[in-house]
Amino acid sequence: MPGAEITRELYWNVVGTGFPVARVLTYVFALIAIILFVLGLLRKGGLIDRIRMMKLATGPDVPRTDNAGERLKYAIAEVFGHRKILREPYQGIAHLFIFWGFIILFFGTFMDFFQGDVVEPLFHANILQGGFYLFFSFITDLGGILVIVGVIMFLIRRYVNRPKWLDDKPEDRIILWLILAIAVTGFLIEGLRLQATELQPGHPMNPYAWYSFGGHLFALPFSGMSIAAVKGLHQVIWWVHLFIVLGFIVYVAYSKLLHIFTVPANIYMRNMTENPAPLKPIPPESFETAETFGIHLLEEYSWKDLFDSEVCIRCGRCVAVCPSFLTDKPLLPRDVIQNIREHLEAKLKLALDADGKVHVIPEESYEGPGLIGDVIDKETIWACTTCMACIEACPAYISQFPKLIDLRRYLTMMESDFPAEVQEVFRGMENNSNPWNIGSHTRADWAKDLEVPLMSQKGEAEYLFYVGCAGAFDDLNKKAAISLAKIFNAAGLDYAILGTEEGCCGDSAKKIGNEYLFQMLAETNIEVFNGYKVKKIITLCPHGYNTLKYDYKEMGGDYEVYHYTEILNDLIKSGKITLKNPVGDLGTISYHDSCYLGRYNGIYEQPRNILNALGVGGLVEMASHHEKSFCCGAGGGRMWMEETLGTRINQKRTQEAIDAGVKTVCTACPFCYTMLTDGIKELGKGEEMQAFDIAQLVAKAAGLE
Amino acid sequence: MNSVVCVKQVPDTETLIKLNADGTGIETAGIKWIMNPFDEYAVEEAVRQKEKSGGAVTLVCLGPDQALDAIRSGLAMGADTAVHINDAEFAAKADPYATAVALAAAIKDLEYDAIFCGKQAVDDDAGQVASILGELLDLPVITIVIKFELSDDGKTAIVTREIEGGHAVIEVPLPAIFTAQKGLNEPRYASLPQIMKAKKKPVTVKTVADLGVSAEPMTVIKGMELPPERQAGKMIEGADAAAKAAALAKALHEEAEVI
Ligand SMILES: Cc1cc2nc3c(=O)[nH]c(=O)nc-3n(C[C@H](O)[C@H](O)[C@H](O)COP(=O)(O)OP(=O)(O)OC[C@H]3O[C@@H](n4cnc5c(N)ncnc54)[C@H](O)[C@@H]3O)c2cc1C
Ligand code: SF4
Ligand code: SF4
Repeated sequence: MPGAEITRELYWNVVGTGFPVARVLTYVFALIAIILFVLGLLRKGGLIDRIRMMKLATGPDVPRTDNAGERLKYAIAEVFGHRKILREPYQGIAHLFIFWGFIILFFGTFMDFFQGDVVEPLFHANILQGGFYLFFSFITDLGGILVIVGVIMFLIRRYVNRPKWLDDKPEDRIILWLILAIAVTGFLIEGLRLQATELQPGHPMNPYAWYSFGGHLFALPFSGMSIAAVKGLHQVIWWVHLFIVLGFIVYVAYSKLLHIFTVPANIYMRNMTENPAPLKPIPPESFETAETFGIHLLEEYSWKDLFDSEVCIRCGRCVAVCPSFLTDKPLLPRDVIQNIREHLEAKLKLALDADGKVHVIPEESYEGPGLIGDVIDKETIWACTTCMACIEACPAYISQFPKLIDLRRYLTMMESDFPAEVQEVFRGMENNSNPWNIGSHTRADWAKDLEVPLMSQKGEAEYLFYVGCAGAFDDLNKKAAISLAKIFNAAGLDYAILGTEEGCCGDSAKKIGNEYLFQMLAETNIEVFNGYKVKKIITLCPHGYNTLKYDYKEMGGDYEVYHYTEILNDLIKSGKITLKNPVGDLGTISYHDSCYLGRYNGIYEQPRNILNALGVGGLVEMASHHEKSFCCGAGGGRMWMEETLGTRINQKRTQEAIDAGVKTVCTACPFCYTMLTDGIKELGKGEEMQAFDIAQLVAKAAGLE
Repeated sequence: MNSVVCVKQVPDTETLIKLNADGTGIETAGIKWIMNPFDEYAVEEAVRQKEKSGGAVTLVCLGPDQALDAIRSGLAMGADTAVHINDAEFAAKADPYATAVALAAAIKDLEYDAIFCGKQAVDDDAGQVASILGELLDLPVITIVIKFELSDDGKTAIVTREIEGGHAVIEVPLPAIFTAQKGLNEPRYASLPQIMKAKKKPVTVKTVADLGVSAEPMTVIKGMELPPERQAGKMIEGADAAAKAAALAKALHEEAEVI
């Protein structure tokens, strides 16, 4: 057979002639390792127990197993393609190398087994020969090198770079050293074998030795050694390698290496509802009947919430992007998840009875740390801006901040325990349907001097222009509402506003945890919308946009909702408005992505297109933009709360604009506009810099001012 | 300690007020109604005293059907029961005296150690009801209370009143009437279970006739006027702070003639 000499002897130097003791022992050890691995999963408090504990959870959840085909496709693409992991290029590439390296090595080991224990004994043939063998040699060496490079990159990050958001536990280091040891001992075995065989002049494989380039490198230090010594060393390291590999397999059951299984499972079970960050539904009728709202006990979470805590690999990506953490507030989304995990482990100990069953712990008899206050601080709970950066960043598809909103719901609805400033906001929403508590009869005053059609007069219109509280009541943002009305008029859009019939969308109430108030506001609006047979809605505010689009739908209000940037982008493109007039000296411009437009709804390009269409200055990006845009600090009801901890989020964002060297910061969100305007003032840049809502600039450029 | 709290429903302070056709009152349609803010302090204090030393809190309210909302708000804050003197016609023309007569008639059959009122109702700002009530029930009245403490034996109250430039501490034997001022406490935001529970708490509805009251108001409102509409403000322009200050001084001197 041609090329039959191009191969290698499996179990070379380990299995001699006669009864293959080492071969049998290898299988015995492997079996023991697998048994230990399984016992690790089944041990008291192990993964299986933890999953049993999760199954006690009572909270509702979104569907997790529908669309099986699509889920599977997505999970496979994500796991093997590393799309989200690669968003952080350094860690991403390191992980990709280790991941693919391991897959290759697994495949290599499998081929060895297949040849040695299936093909050879059954068919007395050799598939590992000739050209395929050379390819096989090359590719497995490549796999090993990838693993080593990846691990070294991680080691550098862990021991040298040490970013402040990186968690550092012994297992993190053990795993890296274990992987390095597996790869290095593997190469040593190969190198020693090569040194004793292929690298010897005259060996039939000698011309092909470089296909095993990795082993070749590792053979170099042994080139001066006697063959006997090389063989002796080879045998020792062969066994060392085997035991490290088997130890690694066992360690999977005891460490975060379990993520090899849990993360793909979590990706498969990802949230596939339209709403990227759904909160638990509270059916309106339950307000009359339920005894408790929100969550104050671990078991009130959904099983998936608890499974999330199992999946978290503590990578810290969510921490690295969290505006609260980055302004020194006591909120680290990873720690929220990890604290839930530790709490689950502690409660599991109590829930396990003598015969190993997991039973429900009655609330009355539980005296351990409370979920709110002990496990998760109230300060942590209130610090979140719901910016969604954590969810967006998480490579394990964990949903972090909604778990905090569940706790807010309990605090707000059950205990009336919220930052004192918020009470006035709730009152305003209750009495005048706006958080400022300005007389609701003045809601349409911004439009007094304009020709803005009222739904009550027009009866029907293609679009409802839902202005929202900021556009209607806040002096700064009324400018945007006025600009939009002028633009819509000029473009001949068939639209109308609700005037004093409009009510607060309720986003802040919902995110502060007052679902009861939110639903009252939403119901009132939905009734009015439906009264006018509204089908399409344009919102000024991204918060209203998101709320009407997702939350109202959950309540039966089904509308086509657009943010004004989508509409303006279309109007400009189709030539319905032309931007010919000068807008003044804006200098270089940056666009600040609103969380609720960008991360929540993927509206990144429309606002940028509009700014480009103005034909002024250059559009430059700030340090964080698009998916990684840094929050202004006002979401999640934070707009209405004092920011007493750490530094101010809006100032940090404004500083990014300053560092980008821009003169103008544009936004398309009333909250962002307010926060950035304040930030510019607070940082003393009022003379050099300015903030605009995009709508104002468009109105100006269209000659409508 | 058992308490009675007089709560009044008033128009929301932000709501648009229009005069009625003959100018003797306001147009009540389309108004957002709330519990008188000073009465919230009164309810809160009564509930806190109950939480501290037991007893029950009864609300008394004179007003039409819609006043039930204010009563439910008070029950959600923690009051136990309520008497609703539901008499739209009487309530519409009642002056502070007639109001107090009706309240007194409802209160006299109740058990109480203290009656809490707001220091004034923010609608007509008369500030008289508590005092007249004191006269009718023959009870001491302590107005503008910012701190309330019950003595250990529960027989007297030690209260702090706000007076111009200082405080006065007064000891008064119970029962007595107290009017609540801002600062007495921070009224709670009723929790959802409390709101739901409040819907089921007993509210006794009575008419003025049921109470055997036939009081005629002593005063009659002849006319009401809205304040003149606020003039638009004037922005002072100037190149810099000094120039703006000079322009402001000039305007204050020459146009407003105040300096
Ligand atoms: C709702 C409300 C709003 C108010 N807003 C304001 C405000 O904006 N600005 C402000 O400055 N005040 C305000 N006040 C205070 C108010 O103007 C006076 O304090 C109040 O009218 C005095 O009434 P009294 O019941 O406290 O009577 P008293 O303090 O008893 O005095 C009333 C009058 O009785 C007579 N009197 C009392 N004692 C004697 C005596 N020993 N000998 C002779 N005559 C006596 C005097 O003529 C005296 O003027 C307000 C009061 C209320 C109830
Ligand atoms: S939503 Fe934003 S602020 Fe809240 S935890 Fe996530 S990253 Fe932090
Ligand atoms: S929650 Fe996600 S992003 Fe945050 S540490 Fe865990 S795995 Fe990483």
